[in-house]
Amino acid sequence: MSAQLTVQDVNLHFGGVQVLGDVGFTVEAGQIFGLVGPNGAGKTSLFNCISGHYRPSSGSIKIDDVEVLHKPSWRMSRLGLARTFQHPALQLNATVLENVMLGVHPRLRGGPVEWSLRLPFTRKDERTLRDEALGMLERLDLGWAAHRTPDELSHGLHKGIELCRALLLRPHLLLLDEPAAGLPHSEVDRLIQLVRGIRDDFDVTIVIVEHHMGLIAALTERVVVLDHGRKLMEGTAAEAQSDPRVIEAYIGKDAADDAA
Amino acid sequence: MNRMSKLLSNTWVRVAVVVVVAALLLIAPLVLPVFANQTLTRMGVYAVAVLGLNIIMGYTGQVMLGQIFFLGVGAYVTAYGVNNDWNIVVTFFAACILPGLLGLVIALAAARLGGLAIAMVTIALPIIGVPLAKRLTDLTGGSQGTSARFSSAPDWTGLDNDQWQYYMVMVITVIGFVLAYNLVRGKFGRAMAIVRDNEAVARSIGISPYRYKVMAFTIASIFGGASGFLYMVAVQYTSPETMSFAHSISLLAAMVVGGAASIAGSLIGGVYYVLVPQVTNAIDPTVTAISQGIILVAVLFILPGGLVSLPRVIRRLTRKRDTAVATSPQTTSPMHQDAGQAAEGPETERQGQS
Repeated sequence: MSAQLTVQDVNLHFGGVQVLGDVGFTVEAGQIFGLVGPNGAGKTSLFNCISGHYRPSSGSIKIDDVEVLHKPSWRMSRLGLARTFQHPALQLNATVLENVMLGVHPRLRGGPVEWSLRLPFTRKDERTLRDEALGMLERLDLGWAAHRTPDELSHGLHKGIELCRALLLRPHLLLLDEPAAGLPHSEVDRLIQLVRGIRDDFDVTIVIVEHHMGLIAALTERVVVLDHGRKLMEGTAAEAQSDPRVIEAYIGKDAADDAA
Repeated sequence: MNRMSKLLSNTWVRVAVVVVVAALLLIAPLVLPVFANQTLTRMGVYAVAVLGLNIIMGYTGQVMLGQIFFLGVGAYVTAYGVNNDWNIVVTFFAACILPGLLGLVIALAAARLGGLAIAMVTIALPIIGVPLAKRLTDLTGGSQGTSARFSSAPDWTGLDNDQWQYYMVMVITVIGFVLAYNLVRGKFGRAMAIVRDNEAVARSIGISPYRYKVMAFTIASIFGGASGFLYMVAVQYTSPETMSFAHSISLLAAMVVGGAASIAGSLIGGVYYVLVPQVTNAIDPTVTAISQGIILVAVLFILPGGLVSLPRVIRRLTRKRDTAVATSPQTTSPMHQDAGQAAEGPETERQGQS
């Protein structure tokens, strides 16, 4: 079931540097929401705050009314959150299937003793969830790569593998960090269809950080634009693209004046 | 997949290999001389210690320089149990559990520290352990050490002591290796590897790096304790010298030479730990340290993945030679060559699979 995300007045400091200042917005359940802004705007830092990897100095982050600000990041998957990373972090020495199987980790029962003894339920769980992982790879047209290692595959495929791993966590809220980075233009349309399909089939709320404005415009229902760690505006992608403040943030004041 | 891998994927072939290896292990002590049996027994002892080290360091990526401390504690617990007439099974479990508890307590604090800090904490273990063993005279026998004779062959077996000790060590070693092999496959192997490689990703999929480091450290100390029990089976005597820091570094070298993050590599590490000093002593006892150093550097220079990566390296070299033959200018265009390589896929050092 898709989850609502509420971010309120989030501040993040690294030493004396303010990375995020009073950022707030609400993502409704089932929405595809965009987080855009120039490089260094604080988009990934905000993702890291939501996923618990960074601890904000103040503010509130709620997933379905559950305050998650002080939860350790490794507990976030239990609250229904899954994420991908800007640079796909895969284990290059393990097979794609083993990489993806990490996504079913929370659902594998038993401790080290049971697994050392290879008790029957551990074998059964492993088999069942391995089939589920293979099914997910097939769903994303990656079944053929299951037994290859990621170092044999392209960067774009790495993104797909990481997405597979995240989806196996059965998330209610999915954070995608630059899913189109490194993809050829021909693949972006496919990605748009894929993300829409994921939202509909898995009933999940999706927040996307992306520089590809075509993808943002085609996919998102609302966007927040960040600049220098502050929220510049919130609205539809079309509104953002025509907003003078956003144009100025992207291309500079002089260029924006010239364009006007 | 090469011919050997195909052959080994057949269940019957695998069963046959296991049966043959088991038969060889069973028959070996009956036909080998005493010295060979003792050497094999000591290989088993240290293979278990290296196995524990591999779980925390090879699989989970935490620098551990004090594994010998847990071996020493296991040996002292065994000596204490035997000398106080504990049941031998109780003594064995005590020799595993007490170092395990010690490891757990140390790990609860040390695993919060990252990188070199955890290495420093583990360096302190043998450094503290040796003087402590010297001072706790009532428990350890002080500098003189303590002996415990419990591994003489019972009359009903008709075996000599070296044969009986071999079987005791071999049974426990095999069980230890099977348990570790099961552990590092599947759920825990994957989790430990991602904690080693990328903690941010581990956290994002619900794995607490801290908990897994503590778990791996505890398991390593349990294996250390078990190897201490086996040490007493083989040597029947321990002293503070057993847990000296230099031995800990030798265990680390054995793990790296055998192959980090590899179960088979741990076994090879045990063999290396025992065999290399014997060989270098036999060559020239006055330059043992130098020749051991040369062997260590040579192995790591030729096989950075440890001796366990030798078959992979041979396969890669053979494949290169085959490719060179297949892609001679008269027969194959560069495009075909690329396609051939792509279909084959690059050779990968697949850790954690063996």
